[in-house]
Amino acid sequence: MHTRVLSTLAGVALTLAVMPAQADWRSYVNRELGFSFMAPGEIKAAVGTFRGAIAGPRQTIIYRSVEDNIEYKVTVTNFVQAAAEGATILGERQYMFQDGKKVLLDTFARVESGKDTVYGRKLVVDLPDNKGRATGVFYFTKGRLIALEATVLPTHGNFASPDPSRFVDSIAFALSRTESGAVEIKTPALE
Amino acid sequence: MRVTALATLVGAALATTTGPALAVWHGYISHPLGFAFAAPGELKVEKGTYRGAVAGTRDTLVYRFVDDNIEYKAVVIDLTDNANDAATLLGEAEYNFQDGKKLLMDTFGRLDRQYGRKLTIDLANNGGRTTAGFYFINGRIVSLQATVLPANGDYESPEMARFVDSITFFTVRAPDDAIELPVPPK
Repeated sequence: MHTRVLSTLAGVALTLAVMPAQADWRSYVNRELGFSFMAPGEIKAAVGTFRGAIAGPRQTIIYRSVEDNIEYKVTVTNFVQAAAEGATILGERQYMFQDGKKVLLDTFARVESGKDTVYGRKLVVDLPDNKGRATGVFYFTKGRLIALEATVLPTHGNFASPDPSRFVDSIAFALSRTESGAVEIKTPALE
Repeated sequence: MRVTALATLVGAALATTTGPALAVWHGYISHPLGFAFAAPGELKVEKGTYRGAVAGTRDTLVYRFVDDNIEYKAVVIDLTDNANDAATLLGEAEYNFQDGKKLLMDTFGRLDRQYGRKLTIDLANNGGRTTAGFYFINGRIVSLQATVLPANGDYESPEMARFVDSITFFTVRAPDDAIELPVPPK
């Protein structure tokens, strides 16, 4: 009996030791830009660039973390002066995300409800040369294009991981839905 | 030899008389609205209503044609007062179009520096099949929708795509003899 209990405990300990550490997921909010999301790992802010044939060259704000060989990235691009072109700018961004890749999912995405609903799209693609699988959601609201992308890298291996969907589906534009205790993230200054 | 030729001629004549009359497709253009398309049949201009939770209730302008039991509609929804919400308004219209229906196709539509979507649905209660394109331009949703009615029955008809894909937002691409679309009735 004792031997069986001991071996069970040893088995559990071994399992825990070889499993990847499960990082805590935390809520993040940027009240200035008007959205919140959840992600694991340490979020770092940076400034990036984006170029689209219609959107033109743009500086972007990026919030990024990597956890267990999955890269989580929120990208915000400001188009306040071109908000009326938002449908086409959003369509271009979605098109670029899947262009030349194997599309596994391309469907409606929407958050909030009633007159506050924000419509976008959710896509899943396999990256070329076995570089992983990327899940993205894309919205354009209040003059900003907001993209959440999670990429399962080959070193992770489980392309069916639920974590990318958990990340992209966590976006909220109604700040009243922000979890209490959410970490306030700052907006890095653009050049 | 003569018998074969005669039989061929009779067969061709028979096929011509029993097949549906092929209507001529005309080019249409609206300079004020900034688009052009092609359609068969007789043009009718109608007013309609569009409702969306985000868009609210809106009057629509509909250019409608029916030919060989296929209905062709160019629907214009004026949202100029809320154009800064273009992306969501377009997404809502696309979503509403397919909501509760069997979705057969949902893909990118892109032309003339505009990105939209093309969708094909089966209507409820065997009401037919509709292919539609949705774009948001100059503060308006412009949607071309072609419905093969059950009386036609050929749900693989290429005419739906021909109509939806005929849209252009570069009016220079309209044929020289394109007919100017009338202004909406008051």
